[in-house]
Amino acid sequence: MKQYIIQRISYSLVILFFVSILIFVLGRALPGDPVQSAVMSTGMGVVSDDVIDDFKVQFGLDKPLHIQYLLWIRGFISGEWGRSIATGEEVLPMFMHRLPITLELFLGSVFWSCIIGIPFGIISALRRNSWLDVTLTTGAIIGVSIPVFWEGIIMIYLFAVIMHIFPPSGYVPFSESIQGNLLSMAMPTFIMGTQGAGLLGRYVRSSLLEVLGHDYIRTAHAKGLKERAVIVRHALKPAMIPVVTIAGLAWGYVVAGSFIVEYMFAIPGLGRMGVNAIFSNDFPVIQATLVMVAINILIVNLIVDLIYGYIDPRVRVQQ
Amino acid sequence: MNYLKRLLTITGILFMMILAITHLPDAMAQEAKPGQNVNPGQNTQPGWMDWSETYCPDKPVRGGYLRLAWPLYIGVMNPNHMPVLDWMTMSQMYEKLILLDANYQPTIPWLARSWQAIDDTTMVMKLREGVVFHDGSPFNARSLKYQMDWIMDKDNAAWTRSWIEPLESVEVVDDYTVKWHFKRPWGSFLGTMASVPGFMISAKALEGDAALTKVKRIEREIVSARRKAADNKHIEKAHEAKKKLDELEKQLEAFAPIAKTAKPLDTNPVGSGPYMLESFSTDNHITLKRNPNWWFGPSIGMPDMPYFDGIKVSVIPDPSVRLANLKAGAIDSIILDAIQYRLVKDDPNFNVATFPINWLVFLTFNHAKGPCADIRVRQAISHAIDRKALVMGTQFGLGRTASCMYPDDHWAHNPDLQPVSYDPELSKKLLAEAGYANGLTLTGFTINLPEAQAFAKAIMAMLDKVGITWKPVFLSITGMIEPFRNLDFDVVGNLYPWIQEPDHIATLLYDPASPFNNGRSHNKKAIELILEGRETLDETKRTKIYFDLEKTLYSNYEDAWLWWPNAVLASSRNIRGYNLDMLLKYGEGYVFSHPQWFKDGRP
Repeated sequence: MKQYIIQRISYSLVILFFVSILIFVLGRALPGDPVQSAVMSTGMGVVSDDVIDDFKVQFGLDKPLHIQYLLWIRGFISGEWGRSIATGEEVLPMFMHRLPITLELFLGSVFWSCIIGIPFGIISALRRNSWLDVTLTTGAIIGVSIPVFWEGIIMIYLFAVIMHIFPPSGYVPFSESIQGNLLSMAMPTFIMGTQGAGLLGRYVRSSLLEVLGHDYIRTAHAKGLKERAVIVRHALKPAMIPVVTIAGLAWGYVVAGSFIVEYMFAIPGLGRMGVNAIFSNDFPVIQATLVMVAINILIVNLIVDLIYGYIDPRVRVQQ
Repeated sequence: MNYLKRLLTITGILFMMILAITHLPDAMAQEAKPGQNVNPGQNTQPGWMDWSETYCPDKPVRGGYLRLAWPLYIGVMNPNHMPVLDWMTMSQMYEKLILLDANYQPTIPWLARSWQAIDDTTMVMKLREGVVFHDGSPFNARSLKYQMDWIMDKDNAAWTRSWIEPLESVEVVDDYTVKWHFKRPWGSFLGTMASVPGFMISAKALEGDAALTKVKRIEREIVSARRKAADNKHIEKAHEAKKKLDELEKQLEAFAPIAKTAKPLDTNPVGSGPYMLESFSTDNHITLKRNPNWWFGPSIGMPDMPYFDGIKVSVIPDPSVRLANLKAGAIDSIILDAIQYRLVKDDPNFNVATFPINWLVFLTFNHAKGPCADIRVRQAISHAIDRKALVMGTQFGLGRTASCMYPDDHWAHNPDLQPVSYDPELSKKLLAEAGYANGLTLTGFTINLPEAQAFAKAIMAMLDKVGITWKPVFLSITGMIEPFRNLDFDVVGNLYPWIQEPDHIATLLYDPASPFNNGRSHNKKAIELILEGRETLDETKRTKIYFDLEKTLYSNYEDAWLWWPNAVLASSRNIRGYNLDMLLKYGEGYVFSHPQWFKDGRP
């Protein structure tokens, strides 16, 4: 197992090296000058060429590309991720400030996905082809299909403007107010969660159906175990593999996928930061965000593989 | 998303317009003439100094945090650094030397009490006494001089350095008098001091900020010098590096003690405004608290000013969600998009006001290459556009058709010019004369905002009627930079916000030396007039120069100016002390002297 982990980490570092070059080159290939863009966004008055050139020097954009790359890598490793051209903030604190927010959004959405999707999937599988199965399956498809922005605005008007249950938007840190935090994150996590729940329900249903057809389930029934015991003890655990897969994939896509929800609910997360940076060609932020996303995906894939081993003994044996 | 950023910047600037609204009466303009002392509390009171019941029947009440929403986070909080994306919040923390009147003329003394030109290149300015910055340091001649020197120092990376390029030096005459020395006559000096460089900052805070910057630079240089000094292969270079190292270490010793206790101004603003920074959470909110030492209230016998305990500005990017927040009572006041006006105009829960703002929506022509280099094509395009229909159809009537660049309430606006007439037949004729009788296809782009798309499509339809096919693509600001640079367009849908000092927009758009003269306009007469206006001090002469400039640009169809927008402000009825008439009549003079309050001291 130890050798397996070391091998996976080594592969990951090689992948990361190539990813960093790709991110750097693609970032520079994007059309548009980020400094000029920042000047235009400020929306005020005359800025001369020499001031714009000074800014380029400040951000190291006057140096040859390979030097810029080496300086960036050195800075990245030593924790100096540079300064955002578009917002003026230091990138590392900017990232670290938003990471827990997006993490909370992710965990909240996984929570909603699980408590909605798993029971739906189980019920659908157990009542296969019944009216309940059809209803839940339709619900799952609707859950996946509803555009997030539409669902978001409807929920805001319903639960905030009309019923005054939740705040319409904004983020309250957990450290500031637990109640405020839960209330501010309820709608955004629910919306992201319902998207995942539909998908998860479908996966759990098909996975459980497959497991229920196996010989050992029949054996369990033959032993005289109650239906509940067969499901909970013997069928559910192997059927959970897709849940782990989806959670892993969801985290991989959370930065890009959370943008609409973060934008709509005014949540200062990584998704909004990353997409804003791309649109303003803010190299330091784009590079840091994409490298961290790559690192994330590599780590999550590793963890998912390890969890597979825990859930499914056959994986451990193969390893 | 940068197009959102633009939208938000635009909306943000709209909001700022609430604080910079104009229309000053002649009486006010006369009372605040340069050189005249109009210290509040004295007998010569300008019209805006009215806090009686005619201004507002309610008595002001202290208390409560005003909750506002802004599409973008403020950015950095030093106005001289980039980017600043929320000037409204900025202007609550910092105050300017001079305020603009209703015609955008810098005539209202604020932190400057009076000013007098001694000759073409010297101006004496008296400063207000008793003003204290948020860190307790005084505002005086030395602090002003320090700030201007700080801006001019390249090390401090102030983007406003371009703005004060004509400044030679600032001389301290006494504690509250400075003498400005210019390199050459500087006609836009007062306008510049009524803008970003005129936001006064604590010299103590600036000194700390500068020390931090210098220490950072010196430390970097020390690392490099140490490396070179240790190089045994190049003895001579190593020797030089050692000498430099000694020098740098001495410099470090000088700045390190100041830097040790200093805080970067970008995140620790220190102005003299009615509110000061309480807390901020990037991209989430910025919260200001009441400045108990604000000089203005006591100076007019109203020490409770400002009335709110603070202001919380939440960052809400989506306009529909901002409106939802207002309707849910989560915020107290917002600027709306034109399309949202009808959603609130009859709502009894809100006060809704519309007012003109100093922005310009226009089409930029490519003068350097392509069909638009021919004046007949520019004329044809300009006459093919029905500006009234554009404003009604795409702005829901919230705008004024434009004749040229300066808005109709701006002192530099030439009142003799009328918006270019809508005449499709003339357009067709001009096109035929230009050799495009069988039609013309033009390229271009505009910002990828929904409202920009709406107006671009309307223009496409109008041009189509005269045989011009305009094929714009919709780009983010960043995406526009390359095609602008490469002149890869014929016609661009454009916007210029914040038209205050006339030299700034004229230089930016029509001076060949400007990096933002995207259409490569090169109108010799206009260039001469721009230079003349920049160096003319006499107001009457300057006004005539800008009238002539507009006429010159107008006659040459330099661009197609479309409309000057109006803004929509919706506020909770609980907010008191808001007087639209005075706002429109006295501009910034009213805005900064008439803080609002909650009816019962709470939202």
